[in-house]
Amino acid sequence: MGDEDTVTGFLLGGIGELNKNHHPNFLVVEKDTTINETEDTFRWFLNREDIGIILINQYIAERCSMRSMPTTLLEIPSKEHPNDAAKDPILRRARGMFMAHDLR
Amino acid sequence: MVARYLRAELDSLLLQLLRDLEELEAKRAALNARVEGWLSLSKARCAMGAKSVGPLQYASHMEPQLHVSGTQTPEDVGPHKAVLHRRKGLTRAPEPDRSPAPQDPLNWFRILAPHSLQQAQASFREGLQLAADMASLQIRIDWGRSQLQGLQEKLKFIKPAIIFPRVSLLIC
Repeated sequence: MGDEDTVTGFLLGGIGELNKNHHPNFLVVEKDTTINETEDTFRWFLNREDIGIILINQYIAERCSMRSMPTTLLEIPSKEHPNDAAKDPILRRARGMFMAHDLR
Repeated sequence: MVARYLRAELDSLLLQLLRDLEELEAKRAALNARVEGWLSLSKARCAMGAKSVGPLQYASHMEPQLHVSGTQTPEDVGPHKAVLHRRKGLTRAPEPDRSPAPQDPLNWFRILAPHSLQQAQASFREGLQLAADMASLQIRIDWGRSQLQGLQEKLKFIKPAIIFPRVSLLIC
């Protein structure tokens, strides 16, 4: 799930699928794509058994309520928005683990 | 005795977790630095036309050339054991395969794709390998985190039992 360039690039890489029922395994998020559309597509991908990892531009994941996400979600940079480690949910959860009294 | 064993296990788990986090950070930085894919796409767009490299050219039927293997347990998963596998459809396998081999996505855009588009494909394929490694690390980190929390809970439970014998000796 990403902007046009990110999706085109990864489809070029060979992970795109458009099956006989016209169900794609990708979503190009454009300016007029609503947050609801993005979230609905994300939930649909999550429930599909043939999808193991969901790649999503970090700036798109931020906009939607998908931050409490399963491990199968990987936030990736886009052409105009590099990844910000401070916003990465995995690293934020890990930072919260290391309290001094817990390590005694 | 039990507490000592648990502490040793906790230390070992913590060290592994820190190593995994460091590796994840490094891979994330590497992925962030991979701008050449987008640059190559822009060059291809310049060469072929602004609307010639985009969703309008996507094939009406696509089959993935790579798939993710989800059979490994979190302990086995590691960045060096890539979870991304290339489908055999692209190679000339001797066994009869009724389904057509997945088409190279480069052919969607033009029969003789410009070099910049091929470079973009190569760059994004490398990015996919990085993404697969990062996903494996995320799985291991999450597993390690839950194991760590479990061990910390066990230690908290054991701690009162360790203190109690000392109190009884004082009373005597």
